[in-house]
Amino acid sequence: MITIDQQQRLLLNVTRRLTKKITVYAIGGTAMMFLGFKDATLDIDLVFENEKDRTVFKEAVKSLGYLEMDAIKVYGVKRNAPDMFKLNDERFDLFVVEVIDFIFSDSMRKRAEQIHQFEENLILKIANPHDIILMKCATDRIKDKDDARRIINSTKIDWDIIVEEAEHQIELGKERAVFDLTCFLEDLRKMMSVNIPSEIMEKFFKLVERQIKEKKKKSREN
Amino acid sequence: MERNELLQKLAGIQTIESVMDILKVDKIIAIYYLHRLRKWGYVKTMKQSNNRRVYNISLDNKLGGKSYYEIINQHSPIKISTPVIYRIYGKEPSLEETLIYAIKTKSLRTILASLALFKKISNWVELYNLAKENHIERQVGALYDLARQIMKVRRMTDKFRSCALPKEEYKFEYVIPKLKSRDFMEIEKVWKIYLPFNKKDLEEYK
Repeated sequence: MITIDQQQRLLLNVTRRLTKKITVYAIGGTAMMFLGFKDATLDIDLVFENEKDRTVFKEAVKSLGYLEMDAIKVYGVKRNAPDMFKLNDERFDLFVVEVIDFIFSDSMRKRAEQIHQFEENLILKIANPHDIILMKCATDRIKDKDDARRIINSTKIDWDIIVEEAEHQIELGKERAVFDLTCFLEDLRKMMSVNIPSEIMEKFFKLVERQIKEKKKKSREN
Repeated sequence: MERNELLQKLAGIQTIESVMDILKVDKIIAIYYLHRLRKWGYVKTMKQSNNRRVYNISLDNKLGGKSYYEIINQHSPIKISTPVIYRIYGKEPSLEETLIYAIKTKSLRTILASLALFKKISNWVELYNLAKENHIERQVGALYDLARQIMKVRRMTDKFRSCALPKEEYKFEYVIPKLKSRDFMEIEKVWKIYLPFNKKDLEEYK
């Protein structure tokens, strides 16, 4: 586990090895620490704007002694799994724009208001709590549901933002995102008794229904 | 009570009475909650002149690093709250960088408070380079001339002025979109920049 102070020191060390200025978005436990939702995290989940930036970051991380590991061990056989690097207990999960079945969209980038600058070369933007929930659904690892529950229980959630973003994901071609999100939220509600308004769940079910109908229509046409 | 809920309810400047009032608890429990928040790193305590304790409760206090807003508040008689978290680690941001950041926020209050930085600006080369990078050389020049009218400031180098002054073909630009000055039109004409302040706005500097 890595605390916020250790993480800041680590990111400073990485920054000193970066060869160009890059902007990166924190989406998981890292973001939750910066927003005060938790004290420590196991993995540092970052989303890059392009492959070039990730490559520069990967080189810096490797030079610190981090070793590349197989994403299948953590994510299974999923599309858009991250490049992963590990040293002792700490792990970097490095995505580029797409996080499994979700896209880290422009609207998500705009909502990331909190900024942390490490020396000159690393600008770390912290994802909005609403988007962290969406990203938790995307990665859906063992601890992710717990983290999502913690966010929902400790801050005011504007569910319309999540519904709008789900619709936006469909527009961006990520049709599976809405289905995954509906299942994820339903699990949170049923298994973990998280308070998600039933009218919001209705909206999600309708979105999924609409998608099914459209798919059926398309397959009939073909 | 959960940590985040507690932080959200108490974020800002508090006294023991205001904590008791917000949480609707007695003094002992209020002290206990403050103790917990301090342990998590969210509390900075200050003492007033009458020895009363004032608690600054914020997520910022835990994060470390330095913010541009802290630097502005350190140097300006006009204090501003932090509208967004922007923290810098591993280096001390210069006053020149801070001034450029303040202008880029396009926030009236932030720019007003940052005028005081002109008193301490000494590296005009750095300021010019940063301003040029962000295409706001004329804005910096116009705000400098404005600051000079209300306070004693360090002298801008001739090189900065001559490089930053607009050419004939330049069009008027804004510091803050749609805001023009009624009282400082002379400065506006020189720099071809609309200033967002009138004389009344600057009274806080007197």
